[in-house]
Amino acid sequence: MDGPVIETTAVHMRYASGEMSVEALRGIDFVVAAGEFVAIMGPSGSGKSTLLSILGCLERPTAGSYRIADEEVSAFDERKAARVRRERIGFVFQSFNLLLRSTAAQNVELPLFYAGVGREERRERTRAALEAVGLGDRVDHLPRQLSGGQQQRVAVARAIVTRPDVVLADEPTGNLDSHSQDEILELLGDVHAQGATIVMVTHSREVAEHGTRIVHVLDGLIDADEAVARVAW
Amino acid sequence: MSGLEHVLLALQALRANWLRGLLTALGIIIGVASLVALTAISAGAQEGVASDLRRLGPNIILLDGEFVTLPNGQMTATDRTLTRGDLAAVAQLPAVTAVGRRQLVEMTVSSGRRQTTTILTGIDETFQRMHNYAAAQGRLLTAADDREGREVIVLGSKPAQRMFKGAPAVGRTVRILSREFTVIGVYSTKGNLGPDDLDNQALVPITVAKRVLFGGEAIQGADVQVRTQAQVVPTMDEIDALMAERHKITSGSGEDFSTEDQTQIITAAAAATSTFKTLTLALGAIALVVGGIGIMNIMLVSVTERTREIGIRKALGAEPSRIQAQFLVEALALCVGGGLAGVGIGLVAARMVAKLAGWPTLISPPSLIIAFVSSVVVGLFFGYYPARRAARLPPAVAMRYD
Ligand SMILES: Nc1ncnc2c1ncn2[C@@H]1O[C@H](COP(=O)(O)OP(=O)(O)OP(=O)(O)O)[C@@H](O)[C@H]1O
Ligand SMILES: [Mg+2]
Repeated sequence: MDGPVIETTAVHMRYASGEMSVEALRGIDFVVAAGEFVAIMGPSGSGKSTLLSILGCLERPTAGSYRIADEEVSAFDERKAARVRRERIGFVFQSFNLLLRSTAAQNVELPLFYAGVGREERRERTRAALEAVGLGDRVDHLPRQLSGGQQQRVAVARAIVTRPDVVLADEPTGNLDSHSQDEILELLGDVHAQGATIVMVTHSREVAEHGTRIVHVLDGLIDADEAVARVAW
Repeated sequence: MSGLEHVLLALQALRANWLRGLLTALGIIIGVASLVALTAISAGAQEGVASDLRRLGPNIILLDGEFVTLPNGQMTATDRTLTRGDLAAVAQLPAVTAVGRRQLVEMTVSSGRRQTTTILTGIDETFQRMHNYAAAQGRLLTAADDREGREVIVLGSKPAQRMFKGAPAVGRTVRILSREFTVIGVYSTKGNLGPDDLDNQALVPITVAKRVLFGGEAIQGADVQVRTQAQVVPTMDEIDALMAERHKITSGSGEDFSTEDQTQIITAAAAATSTFKTLTLALGAIALVVGGIGIMNIMLVSVTERTREIGIRKALGAEPSRIQAQFLVEALALCVGGGLAGVGIGLVAARMVAKLAGWPTLISPPSLIIAFVSSVVVGLFFGYYPARRAARLPPAVAMRYD
């Protein structure tokens, strides 16, 4: 894969509710090459989460172009968008977003289920993914029976179980203590090392420096773009 | 993904939230149960009419004499205006196939210390045959019992139960006034004729009844059977004319007899039960609709409650049609489960009504199927709208929902 995995051109996002209208993104040109690990930083309300949900096809931009691997996806309907999400993308959210009444294994299995993977293979890959995040012994636990860090590890397992090209993470360590934060960052590092492209939103410079590149968003626009110097590792 | 997996997924969601599911299904359960029970009861009443006709005997005219009025203006207690000669003349009418005599009075009968009030009915064998009496225990009355004036008695199920409490009645003796009658049989249940409970009777040979209980010569009443239902009304007119002639009744002076069509009494009751049936069906339908609205309500609430979950599922790649299917299957499972439970509870309720209230109930398979199918249709209908709504939420919006 040589071309960019992700490429947005002049992406705008306007939220209109009644009289009020907010322009969350005001012309984003953003390119991510295959194998990059991009950290997005910026003040609260600057549009980071909005950008990420457009990248993840969770909503459509109100204007502009968005291509994934040269496919124009910005105008995809719900069905096609769902296909892109399950075939190419894995999500990790700040608030974990696990199904609270389903076990760890059931949560991790879900994307495979929607991708039409057979029962046996589903079970096998689910187990492998949970083992990869160090939760081989917690498969039948409900989210409330797990710590925050463990829940986020389940979420990471769920994001990678389909082996997506792109993993999108919105403040994945925002709710975690520093120990759990390190575990999650290490896991994302592994996923990256195995070839996935990662885009991660964070408020922490320290966390952002785990990436290969840091993009700064301000007021719905990209403000700065810096490469991370590989020093320590 | 196979259909089975859809079902399993929906069932998993239901199991994870069984209380909410139960509350939802409750609406359907109550709707279907009341529909099943109510139709069973009204069908029982309806069937009662049809089988009344079979059981009570077809094409029968009830001919009754009035109490004899003495010259001083008082009425006698037992004498009636109907005579043997009258009955012989009626029997000569071409359409008439049988004339059965009856003479009845409410009376206390007793066995040992147990006593009960029943309609003591003196009858002849023709009457018994005409009305399709059948023996449940022992035997019925015979012409010989009548001829030889045997003091024997055939009990209805009610007095038999009240005096003997389920113990065999045949061979026991029953005291009426100061005389002892031997129980020779108990006849099968006959139900009601209009307001009269035909199971609360005790049958004795009419000659014995007249000799020891009534006295007097005149006959209280007779039942006249004709060949076909079509002959009933014309024959009634003929009997009226004949009786008027024999009793020298000129138009204007009061008739001292009356004729009645037994079928009319039965169908009059039928008219009442058919109104009852319509009413109960309407009630059942209302219950079902209320149950359906309950389902819709809960499904809507559950969509709101589960908006985040739906967002998550869609973020993980679920197509709208899948979310929709999940909710439909969930609604369907609730309705099928609720429908089955409702049918079961309805059947039990119908049996309990039959047992406790003594109403006849009739469980007709079509009514079960209708109740069940309509519950599923209601569930699908009300499940569909919330399912669509759920499926159309954009995931980014849905997940932000708190
Ligand atoms: N669904 C929505 N409807 C209306 N306005 C919205 C919606 N989503 C986001 N916004 C607005 O768009 C702007 C950008 O929001 P966004 O969530 O992208 O910020 P963010 O950079 O992720 O902030 P934070 O660091 O606090 O998470 C904000 O002003 C927000 O109020
Ligand atoms: Mg955000």
